[in-house]
Amino acid sequence: MAVEALKLDNVKKNFAGTEIIRGLNLSVAQNERHAVIGPNGAGKSTCYNLITGRYELSSGRVYLKGEDITNLQPYEVKRKGLSRSFQITNIFPKMSVFENVRCSLLWAMGYKYSFWHMVGRQSKLNDDAEKIIEELNLKDRRNTLAGVLSYAEQRALEIGITIAGGSEVILLDEPTAGMSVSETEYIVGLIRKVTEGKTLLVVEHDMGVVFDLADRISVLVYGEIIATGTPTEVKENQAVQEAYLGAAMEEH
Amino acid sequence: MNNIIQKSGLSAFVPWIVSAIVLSILPFIFTGGGSITIMNQIGITIVLAMSYNMLLGQGGMLSFGHAVYMGIGGFVAVHIMNIVENESLWLPLPLLPLVGGLVGLGFATIIGSFSTRKAGTVFAMISLGIGELIAACCIIITVFFGGEEGISGDRTMAPPTFGIEFITQKEVYFLIAFWVLISVFCMYLFTQTPVGKMANAVRDNPERAEFVGYSMRWVRFVSFCAAGFFAGIAGALFAINYEILTEQNLNLNMSFQVLLATYIGGVGFFLGPIFGAILFTLLQTVIGLQTDLWALYTGIVFILMVMFLPAGLTGLFAMHLIPLQLGRLGMLVRPYAKIFIPGLAFLIGSIALIELINHARHHGEEQFMTLFWIEFDTKSFLPWIVFTLMVVVGFYISRIIAREVTEAWGEATFVEGERR
Repeated sequence: MAVEALKLDNVKKNFAGTEIIRGLNLSVAQNERHAVIGPNGAGKSTCYNLITGRYELSSGRVYLKGEDITNLQPYEVKRKGLSRSFQITNIFPKMSVFENVRCSLLWAMGYKYSFWHMVGRQSKLNDDAEKIIEELNLKDRRNTLAGVLSYAEQRALEIGITIAGGSEVILLDEPTAGMSVSETEYIVGLIRKVTEGKTLLVVEHDMGVVFDLADRISVLVYGEIIATGTPTEVKENQAVQEAYLGAAMEEH
Repeated sequence: MNNIIQKSGLSAFVPWIVSAIVLSILPFIFTGGGSITIMNQIGITIVLAMSYNMLLGQGGMLSFGHAVYMGIGGFVAVHIMNIVENESLWLPLPLLPLVGGLVGLGFATIIGSFSTRKAGTVFAMISLGIGELIAACCIIITVFFGGEEGISGDRTMAPPTFGIEFITQKEVYFLIAFWVLISVFCMYLFTQTPVGKMANAVRDNPERAEFVGYSMRWVRFVSFCAAGFFAGIAGALFAINYEILTEQNLNLNMSFQVLLATYIGGVGFFLGPIFGAILFTLLQTVIGLQTDLWALYTGIVFILMVMFLPAGLTGLFAMHLIPLQLGRLGMLVRPYAKIFIPGLAFLIGSIALIELINHARHHGEEQFMTLFWIEFDTKSFLPWIVFTLMVVVGFYISRIIAREVTEAWGEATFVEGERR
């Protein structure tokens, strides 16, 4: 069997003595689109923060393509090929859209802490940044400061920053939160396009988006995965229906 | 295609060539010895303020001890001048700033290795501590810092450069102008490098910068070292210009002056500190000759800037680009002209009152004083009444017209259907 793109092995996290993540096991196969769902406060964002080095694990291990990445710094995790977006838009507000995307490409293209390259003269870098902006459908906004973009545009840029640099494993945190139906459609289409041939882990509240996008779904309730399977399997799972999905499905 | 690239490559150099020409003409326009002295001081302040803005404006690091890196570079430069004088070392004077820069770089590398771990308050407090520490060392380590009287050297004892021995202020001016141009050019290039761009990114959102693969600490560290390098160059220029360095050139007071100059110019703009350095030095020297209260005025300007014009002087220019692009700058002329008279009356009245109080307090025995080229009797009530009236009436009318200015401004910058 091929190595999993991402594997969490009995991950636990305590905050001030309270166990928020209580032995999380999750494995995402390569090129899989995997969704994590669960009620508010189930620990979905915490789980992302543990994977990407924002928080330190209390115990357990995280593996990226078989390599142990437990408790690495965020920038080390990114350099190993895992990139994430944020639930609350997290961009560089005082820089232009173009600069936002270009900065996200710098490390992946090997510039490191260089002070001897002129970024304006790196044609491959600039072309790639332009391509991403075109993909994001933000060409008209190329020179606009990211901070003044509309909400949906900022969310698109957030995804752009995340996928720039070609990370193989992409973690998206509620990419369609707070969006209208048409904006959601645009973002889902974008996600589908830019994660082609990559591994995707997505936290999402919109069940329509989840069942549309995901190959497999994991249900996180109170810091534990209570079920994992294809959308149909999860939908029919008794425990899931009791704990969460029933209520959520009724809403939709 | 190739032609276009070459053309655009050349046009990028135009501002630099123009600057070089302006710099070389200036001493022939302002020929007085005094004005050349001031220009030299402005040049040094420009390099220092620009290097400071690498931290504050571009890297988001608020330092309270930037003068330390200039001071250390300057002290070493004076020592080297003395070594060169003893002929134990051969070094033409124009190369001395490079040495100063390397010293600044070296010292910044040591301090930066731990101070850039965090930004914000922690960084600011460490910089304050280092500033105090080095200032204290000045008195303690007299071998290097020379105690209270500092150390002095003689720049003219260096081997002549193309026959120039840097005896006159004008010769020194050209040396300083050369290094100002080189330094500003290099600092500009730095902003265009990957690490320079990431410095902005870390300033804007350090966390996200980590999630695109950059360690915020390393990015800050590289900027910090670069800023130290250019501060060191400013220090060596200072040493060359004044031939003496004392504790006053690297203490906290000096660091605050750098902060003031940079902020007044505008931290958000690459060229901001240049305007700040010019205005600040003029306040310090020209106004300083007129009144001993120059520091008070600088302080007031600083507070007003922070409160009403946080983008600084350059921000004020940049603000007017929007109505200019919309072709509506003309709409602002009338309200500006209207507020000018009462505003000026208020300004003159305030200054006059401050000066009058200062005069009464410290020079009470002299009956007459001259202010704005007018001599008057300080013992009579008339000037007090006139100036108070100017302040009160000027302020009242300005307040009324200010509304008009705000409205005109809103109209001049309003763009249909677009958020600003």
